[in-house]
Amino acid sequence: MHTYPYKETSLLVDAFTKASGRITLVARSARRPRSAMRGTLMAFQPLSLSWVGRGEVKTLTKAEWLGGISLLRGEALLCAFYLNELLIRLLAREDAHEALFDRYADALRQFSVGEASAPILRRFEKALLKELGYALVLDREAFTGEQIDPARYYTYDPEKGALAARDSETEHAVIGRTLLSLARDEFDDIRTSHEARALMRSLINHRLEARQLNSRRVFRELLEL
Amino acid sequence: MKSQGTLSSLEELIEALRCLPGVGPKAAQRMAFYLLQRDRPGAERLAAALGRAIETIRRCASCNSFTEAHLCDLCASAKRDTTQLCVVETPADLVMMEQTLAYKGLYFVLMGRISPLDGIGPRDIGLEVLQKRALDGQVKEVIVATNFTNEGEATAHYIGEILKGRGIKLSRIARGVPVGGELEYVDAGTLAQALVERRPV
Ligand SMILES: [Zn+2]
Repeated sequence: MHTYPYKETSLLVDAFTKASGRITLVARSARRPRSAMRGTLMAFQPLSLSWVGRGEVKTLTKAEWLGGISLLRGEALLCAFYLNELLIRLLAREDAHEALFDRYADALRQFSVGEASAPILRRFEKALLKELGYALVLDREAFTGEQIDPARYYTYDPEKGALAARDSETEHAVIGRTLLSLARDEFDDIRTSHEARALMRSLINHRLEARQLNSRRVFRELLEL
Repeated sequence: MKSQGTLSSLEELIEALRCLPGVGPKAAQRMAFYLLQRDRPGAERLAAALGRAIETIRRCASCNSFTEAHLCDLCASAKRDTTQLCVVETPADLVMMEQTLAYKGLYFVLMGRISPLDGIGPRDIGLEVLQKRALDGQVKEVIVATNFTNEGEATAHYIGEILKGRGIKLSRIARGVPVGGELEYVDAGTLAQALVERRPV
């Protein structure tokens, strides 16, 4: 997901693996000019990694390029940075998250072939919350269990779920249609996809507690240029 | 001034050396002992050179790289093509480009790259300065030579965004198999991308 310079010539690698979840590896001498690992340890590229060690930081012994995802560019690349920052901030080390890993690999593949970014981001955010133990319930009201009415207004409490709102003026209220579309991964409608984006953002922020995402700040600055 | 927080000269030196990239407390201690024990003249030269550099070296008004004058030698040269501007990440990249002898235009050195995960955004590198420089009326073509890393690619994307539709020809240096490179020995990533970016023969 990301590498950090470590000592004179090494790299610390924050990797997301299928079987072991998020792990930290040291890639010795990977910053030397002729290092074979230098070009291989690239974020957003599927790799096959071997390592030794039991401590918090393991030693990378081999990194092979698996390929299949072309290098990301433009907006897709920026979205992918956001996914990586979410994983780094929210996943504990060494907890396997196989379903999320698959969702992440799908997202990168979809970015690389130029699919629209919003549906990819929403699906990933939902999968991430689910893996963290906060799966969203988008088709029923909390407490009453009543079906969500597409035409009524709701707020979504991160701890409780969907709550009926008095009207559209209620703070953070979304129309029921938004919750149902989000549940079904339908993002064709401009209004519901905007509301879904704001809703997911507030739910992710809740899990981040007070921490700000660097990637969001950087994108904001880029938009201001 | 004597207080609990005051460091001895030795501690102060070790602390100061830690500002170098990749230098932790142990390496800093090793360097400090080496300088004091084995190479005091070397230490004096280093101290004097650092002091002078800090006082005299500043950013070139044109390319953003280091210089002691208002303009660096390269930017002040009458022999360069002032209509071409090549954008690189670091002064070291500029030196590499110069070694090719294949480029006669001017440069702009960003002094970094956009790295969202490290919190490095457009304001932390010279993107706004670049925009002004590229739109000063002299420049007709901007050649983006940032690294082929995700960060270099993101930086290239945003250079494109801030310059597009402004009447400037914009290009990105090509990547591919090294000259004299035999396919068998090229890394898979490079070869895969060379295939994606193939051209008609
Ligand atoms: Zn200059």
